[in-house]
Amino acid sequence: MRPSARLTIILIVFFISGSFYYQSATRQNINGQHNKLLTTLTASLGLTDLCIATEARYTRHPAISDSMAPFMDHPGSIEHFPTGSFWAPVKKH
Amino acid sequence: MAFLEKHLNILDYSLSSIWQRRARNLSIILVFTGVIFLISSFQMLTTTLTQTAMTALEAAPEITIQKMVAGRQQSIPQSYTAHLDKIFGIRQIVPRIWGYYFDETSTANYTVVGLDTSLMPLSDQLPLTLSQGRLPADNGTGEVVLAPAIKKILAPNRRTFSLFRPDLSLKTMKVSGVFPDEANILTGDLITMNLADSRDLFQIPAGEVTDLCVYVANPAEIGTIADKISKALPDTRVVTRPQIKKTYQVVFSWRSGFASICLLTALAAFVIFSWDKASGLMPEEKREIAILKILGWQTGDIIAIRFWEGFIIATLAFILGYGLGFVHISLFNGTIFTPLLTGWSVLQPELHLTPRIKMNDLFLIFIFSVIPYLTATIIPAWRSAAIPPDSAIN
Repeated sequence: MRPSARLTIILIVFFISGSFYYQSATRQNINGQHNKLLTTLTASLGLTDLCIATEARYTRHPAISDSMAPFMDHPGSIEHFPTGSFWAPVKKH
Repeated sequence: MAFLEKHLNILDYSLSSIWQRRARNLSIILVFTGVIFLISSFQMLTTTLTQTAMTALEAAPEITIQKMVAGRQQSIPQSYTAHLDKIFGIRQIVPRIWGYYFDETSTANYTVVGLDTSLMPLSDQLPLTLSQGRLPADNGTGEVVLAPAIKKILAPNRRTFSLFRPDLSLKTMKVSGVFPDEANILTGDLITMNLADSRDLFQIPAGEVTDLCVYVANPAEIGTIADKISKALPDTRVVTRPQIKKTYQVVFSWRSGFASICLLTALAAFVIFSWDKASGLMPEEKREIAILKILGWQTGDIIAIRFWEGFIIATLAFILGYGLGFVHISLFNGTIFTPLLTGWSVLQPELHLTPRIKMNDLFLIFIFSVIPYLTATIIPAWRSAAIPPDSAIN
């Protein structure tokens, strides 16, 4: 068998198994149960933010903290929490 | 057909050539796979978080009103709602007390939310979302619904625990329900109670709340009503649902993030590495090129061999790297990048992520990784193919 034919077969097998894995990994999302859970909680508790970083209020609640919050602790305060380097600043509402 | 047959033959030759130098090529594929794995899983993580935020926050409060004093948020008098009576289109105003509770024993920060859930949208479905128990009873009972991680810290094997009020007196709480693990991305640090208990816990005076959630009759009028509220209450900040969603469209923007700069630096280092590998041709490679040219191969054919070699290596590394990135997010919840996301957070909610693949991101990473590699390898190949065959043989 030609090397190019072997490569094609390997790629086809890889893509078929990869697409099966993709289907199974995203099934939770496809049937919408998870999204419904999140939407219900957000609506009924009035949530405004994702809970990812809990160290600083401006990365816990970036949507309702103002842009000066990282520098608010005292005059001349600098932003020092590590998550501040990951979360891009929100320029203007 | 002749063109296709020619390139199939060249492809076969390239594959044999890759196999001949398999040790060297494997090392390149491994390094390249690692770089693409890092970039793709980081990008997939940020895309997943952004899209989750877009889905979940579709139901966020339409308008949130906060009082500002000296640039800081302060409690807002509930009497402010009287100023909004004249604004046509407001359906409901829900007062809410929420804030942060720092637990000195575990050094974790909790978010405490107190409100009358019966006034909120979809409140009839809220009890169904809990993994255990029920919602807190109406008023002043001290009952709470909390995240599983907080239950483990505060009330591992019992139903009651105590929190400190600002004057250091203790307030006893009873666990009435627990949020599910699957909702950690929203409720991972949350303690929910009724309005009276949160007022008591934070010792907020009667008649004051943290903010007001406003719901309007027609969602198309959110912006107009928010403007009217800003004019009616000039000492407040008015945050609308579209603004909240806009925040999450940019907050994980990997293009402006610090980590993405580090990852692009890794990609640049890899391009330099591959340029170095490709430009330093070994004597037997030069001899091979010379023999091919003596046999009648053109410079273009030799470049085509190098192109196919580079393309196969880069594509294999891309498929492997992107596949591993997907597995990293779906099975391991982005373990490598979680410390970047959470920083010094004591409470690190376990995120159950469903990776999302966007075709434009896929093509962007492909172009950012494969094209620089092909450029870095094909130019040295062209230079080596242009050498006279007799000088290489000798």
